This record gives sequence, C-alpha cells and structure tokens, in this order.
Amino acid sequence: MQSSFIDKFLSNEPGSASRNFLLSALWWSLWAMGAGLIAGIEFSAPDLIHNIPQLSMPHLRMWHVNGVAIGWLSMAYVGSIYYMVPSLCKNKLWSERLGNFTMWAWNIVMIGAFANLLNGNTEGREYAELPALLDYMVVVALITIAINVYGTVATRNVKKLYVSLWYFLGSMFWFPLVYIIGQRTFVALPGLNDGIVGWFYGHNILGMWFTTMGVGMMYYLLPRLTKAPLYSHGLSMLGFWGIALFYAPTGTHHITQSPVPEWLKAIAIISSVFLFVPVITVLTNFFMTMKGKWGLVASDMTLRFAITSAGFYLITCMQGPFQATRWVNWYLHFSQWVVGHAHLALLGTFSFISTSAFYYVMPRLTGRDWYSMGLIRQHYWLKFLGFLLMMISLTIAGLIQAAGWAFGMPVDQWSLQIRPYWFLRAISGVMIVLGQFIFAYNVYKTLYGKQVETKKSASMEAIKA
Amino acid sequence: MNSNPYRIGSFAVFTTFIIIIFSTVLMPMVLFQPKPTDTRNNYNLESSAGDALRGRQIYVREGCFYCHSQFTRLQDRGYGPLVKAGDFVYEAPHVLGTARTGPDLTNEGGRFPSQWQKAHLIEPRSVKPGSIMPSFSYLNDRDMNDLVCYIQTLGNGRTVSAYVEAPDEYMPVTPSGQALLARRHVDTNSDAASNAGRGIFTQNCAACHGLEGWGNGPNSITLEKKPANFSRPFYKQYSDQMWFYRISEGVPGTRMPRFGETLTEEQRWYLVAYLKSLPQDKEVTINSLAQLNKLTPTKLPVLTKQEWEPHSGGH
Repeated sequence: MQSSFIDKFLSNEPGSASRNFLLSALWWSLWAMGAGLIAGIEFSAPDLIHNIPQLSMPHLRMWHVNGVAIGWLSMAYVGSIYYMVPSLCKNKLWSERLGNFTMWAWNIVMIGAFANLLNGNTEGREYAELPALLDYMVVVALITIAINVYGTVATRNVKKLYVSLWYFLGSMFWFPLVYIIGQRTFVALPGLNDGIVGWFYGHNILGMWFTTMGVGMMYYLLPRLTKAPLYSHGLSMLGFWGIALFYAPTGTHHITQSPVPEWLKAIAIISSVFLFVPVITVLTNFFMTMKGKWGLVASDMTLRFAITSAGFYLITCMQGPFQATRWVNWYLHFSQWVVGHAHLALLGTFSFISTSAFYYVMPRLTGRDWYSMGLIRQHYWLKFLGFLLMMISLTIAGLIQAAGWAFGMPVDQWSLQIRPYWFLRAISGVMIVLGQFIFAYNVYKTLYGKQVETKKSASMEAIKA
Repeated sequence: MNSNPYRIGSFAVFTTFIIIIFSTVLMPMVLFQPKPTDTRNNYNLESSAGDALRGRQIYVREGCFYCHSQFTRLQDRGYGPLVKAGDFVYEAPHVLGTARTGPDLTNEGGRFPSQWQKAHLIEPRSVKPGSIMPSFSYLNDRDMNDLVCYIQTLGNGRTVSAYVEAPDEYMPVTPSGQALLARRHVDTNSDAASNAGRGIFTQNCAACHGLEGWGNGPNSITLEKKPANFSRPFYKQYSDQMWFYRISEGVPGTRMPRFGETLTEEQRWYLVAYLKSLPQDKEVTINSLAQLNKLTPTKLPVLTKQEWEPHSGGH
C-alpha cells in the first residue's frame, strides 16, 4: 500500500517526470495565457469587468507574467531537458522520483502564485512578485533540478558533451543564483539600488534562463529533426561564451533614463550591443545547419515551430541592442513597443521552441502518435498569425505613444489614437489562446483517446541504449 | 571517467559569472549610495485624510506602477521638475515603473483635488473621457483614502516657481537661445510693437482664437481641442520666449500650426508683443465710477464632456 502510494505520486517509471512536467506546463499555460487575454480585452473595454479585484488589469497582469514565465515556459523547459539530457548522455534520468518531487513542488508554487497574485499579495517587484514562501520553494525546485541534471551528466555513457548540455548545465548553475539575488527577500535596498538589482534579475531571467535554455533546446532539436549534423562546433562554443559573458550585465538598460550611475548604464549598453556577436553566431550555426533542408519545414510541423522560433529570435535580437542604445531608448522607452519586444522574445521565440520541444518529446515519451496533424497545423497558424498581429499592433501603438511623449503631447490625446491597436491586440490574444486550447485538446486526445501503442517500446529502447 | 577537458570550462563559467555579479550587483551597492535630498517625497506630513505610507502599499498591491512611472526625464514637458538620485533613498520597493500607459506620477500631488482623484479611481471615465484606466471601485474607504493621500504626497518635496517655460534652445541658457535674443530688435513691451502685431494676429490667428483672443473664433466650433483663451490668468505667466516657442512650433495634437514655417522671426516677435497686451478676463477698464455697478458679468459656457479645457502646456 505504502509503496503503491509512493509509486503513484513519485513514480519511478522512466520518462514520467518529463511527461508530467510538460503536461503541467500546458495546464498552466491555459490559465496564464487566458489571463493575458482578459487583461488585453480590458484595454479595449475597461468597464467590462467591474468591482472584481481578482480580475482587474494589474492583478491579471501579475499572474499572466508569472504564469507564463514560471508556469508555462519554465516547466516546459524542465520537462524538455528531463528528456533531452538523458538522451544526449545515453542514460536514464539520475532520479525519476526526485524529478517527480520537483514537479509537485513546482505545481504547488503555481497554485500559490495563482491564489496570491490574483488577490494582489505581491512583493511589488516586477518579474519577482511571488511572496517569500513561494520564492523559497522555487529555489528548492531549482536546486533539485540542478542536482538531477548534474547527476545525469556525471553518470553519462558518452564522453563528449554536446553543446546543448553546455547550455543546460550553465543555466542550472547560474539561474538559481540569479533567482536568489533577484528576489531580495531578506533585504530592503534603497530605491535606485532596488531598481538596479531588480533589473539585473528582470533581464537575466531572460538572458540566463529563457535564452540559454531555449537556445540549448534549438541546438538539440534542429539536428535531430533535419537529421543533419550541426554546422560548426566551434561557432556553437563562441556563441555560448558570448552569451555567458555579455548577457548578465545588461539589466540596467531598462532604467537608462533614471538617475542611476552612468558607468553602470555604460556597462549595460555596451554589453547589450556586444550581444550581436553571440546572437549572429548562434543563428548562423542554425541556418547553416538547415542548408539544403529548408523543404522539410513544409511537412514537419515540429521543425516548423522550431524554425519560426529561430526566425523570431533573429528579429528580437536585432531589436534588443538597437533599443538599448541611448538615442533610441530616449524615444522608445515607456511605450508599448517594449511590450511588443517582450512578447517577441517570450512568445515568438521561447514559447515556439517550447511548443516544438513538446511536439517532439511527447510522442517519444508515450509512444503514441499525435491524434491529429490538422490540429497541429491549426495551432501553428493561430499562434503564428495571432502573434504577428499582436507584434504589429503593439509596435504601431508604441510608435504613436513614443511620438506623443517626444513632442510633449498630453496623455489623453495620444491615448485616443491607439485605441484601434488595443482592439487588434485583443483579437490577436483570442487567436493565440484559441490555438493553445486546440493544442491542449490535441494532447488530451493523443494521451487519453483510443489509440494503439506502437512506438513506446522502440523509443524506450532508444533511451536505454 | 576522465573529466579533465571540462574542468577548465566549468571553472571559466564560474569565474565569469562571479565577476559579472561583482561588477553589476555588488559594486553599485558599494559605490552608489546617494545622500537623501530635501526634494524627496515627504511622507511624514500630518494628515487627517489617510496614511500616505500605507497608501504606498496599496499603490504597490494594486500594481499602479505597471502603467505609471515615477521618474521625470529631461525631455518630458509638463511633468514638473527633474528627479535626483537622492530622491529615491527611502523608496523601497522601487516604483520607478517600466511603461507609461498612463501619465507620469512623479509630481502628481496637488495637480487635482482629492475628491477628483477619488472619483477618478472609482470611475475614471466620468472625469477623464476616453481614459482606459481600470476602475478601482472595489477598494474600501480606508484603502481609497490612504491611496489618495499617497498620490497627493507625490512630489511634495519639489517646489516650482514657473510651471511653463520654453525649451532650453529658446532660453538664454543655450547658445541658440542667446543667438535668438541677439537677433531680436522688437521691444515686446512697446505699444508700437503691439500695434504691429495686431494685424498679424487678425490675419493668422483670429479665425480660431477670435478677435479678442477668447478662443471663440468661427473655426473653434469645428475643433475637438478648443483653441486657447488668452484672457485666462494662466497666460500672464508666459515669458516672451514661451510665447515665441508656442507660435513657432505650434501645439502638437491640436490644429495649432507651426508658424515658424510661415512667419518671419520679426513677425513672430510682433505677435508676442500683441499677445502680451491682451487683457485678462477679470481686468475690466472703466471710464467713470458710474459704470461700476452696471457691468454685465461674463457668462462662461457650461462645460460638457465634449468641450475640454484648452491646452494648458501639458498633462
């Protein structure tokens, strides 16, 4: 009885931690993206929901940001590396039970985040809103993941570490530290220092977690999906060290125009511009790997998600250094352009690569084929077109806003001019959330619908081999 | 297994990361410790209305800082004096803000009456038509009063002597402003210059601003943003350069054109002289005591939601 209870909740079955993490990620993505959609609609219809504090725009926004960042993207990442790391090391996950324990801890964090943030129980620090108790639990979860990943790599059956593992191992080293520094749980720093540390964290949750993990996943997926060898191992190392060197100090470019020290702004802006180097290196490597294989994008939906992600990564990273420079930041800062840029990175790039990994990993874990290719296509087009619409409308709205600020126009004048773009943004939200629900339906039918299991034994053999 | 090839790599990752943390997190803590300035927000003022510090917590809890920033920049016009590093020493957690979907609130205190702020929080559209701010009607009385008290505290340490001034490139503090003044040969306080400006006003301005500058010219009925009424006391604090700047660059967001494109500098200075001579609405000249009680009071039109206040230099 005791052992069956433990087996049920802390399963030792190979691949179960990865599967559970991916399914949890999908579950939280529905809630978090749904909250983003409602918040987006409230920009067009501010009186739609009245007198319900849990559904007011700022509370929804806190939950949306934390839900997609910590719930959807991070959990999908962890689920993916729990499959990718053992497959690259040609062994099993170090401890499947520990993996499932982390999964439960992380889900409890998400339930806590849902209940706290929607009720406005926040630390008031952007991207670090979670209350102290949940912060500790996230740290515990990150450390258990790190133990699991390092343990798997230490017991590997191959000699050489593939570049993806470099990225995963690096991220698992520095992200727990960044998270602990960024939460500022025990300290009340003076205002501007609080801002400096806050943006160190706020930018490095992207730079030292989403980017490094996401790029590592792209390095894994592209050669596997195209069955082509990676273009250059040397370039991939250059990209890795470039990101490790230049990403971490960039945080202060979020507050370039506030009275923080000039030398710190200079470090941040110079590092931001230097980020061109690793980005171009990484993307050169990706696109050269694709050489001669571009035709596969037409039929292979998983590859299409991955390539779309790489394309959006290119655009994000061309925007980033450009808008971090003083003379562009002077004009564009504070506007919806920045919101568009944030969605380009997190939705366009990293949500697409997580989805690609999900579509790649899930059939190999469960041995079941996707219920419907048509639904995958619908998901792709709704997400792709919905995102383009969101990006374009937010960018135009941002340019109008920026012009308004630059010419000293009162807010109540330009705010009338961007109403159509709020409306388009709400429509784009409907498309993206609908796509995500189609995705969830497809996953449900695949895993729990009637289907003959065909590939499971084969893929399990492949994992063990 | 021999892990030697990766020992250098892992050491390098570790060192790089520690150096970066040291330079961008620890060094600013040690090197950047501004002293508190007198221009910071003063939360210790006695107030029977509410508790400003508790209001700050409400401000954070309700996520106001997602749409409202709290630092003024050099290029912001009409948002009051610039902030200094020392203004933020006691502001934790920081509410600097990251986007401006609404106006900047650095110097918001005192801009509007508390009752207006309260009405605006409960039903924003009733006092600001077209606003997309969410309604915070669910706040209880105590939270609401504290929040309004906090808003009224913002910027109370920063006092200003002149609210509206032309940008620096028009003022004698910059070379271009000095050159502008050096080229000027019109005495803007003289009757002659004022008379010369009257004709320019009639030809270029009267169609919207009216013959007497009351903002009631024939074109004004078609304009959504009403032309300025120069008889308002507000315009008596305009400096010569401010008039000149407005005439030259127009008012963005309204139909007020950039007359710098069509009028010469000399013509614009004549116009300044004329505009300065326009009477204030309360200043009525009478010729004899017998007229004293016979004045008919000025009837101002009732403001509807559509007729907004004329542009008043920002906000």
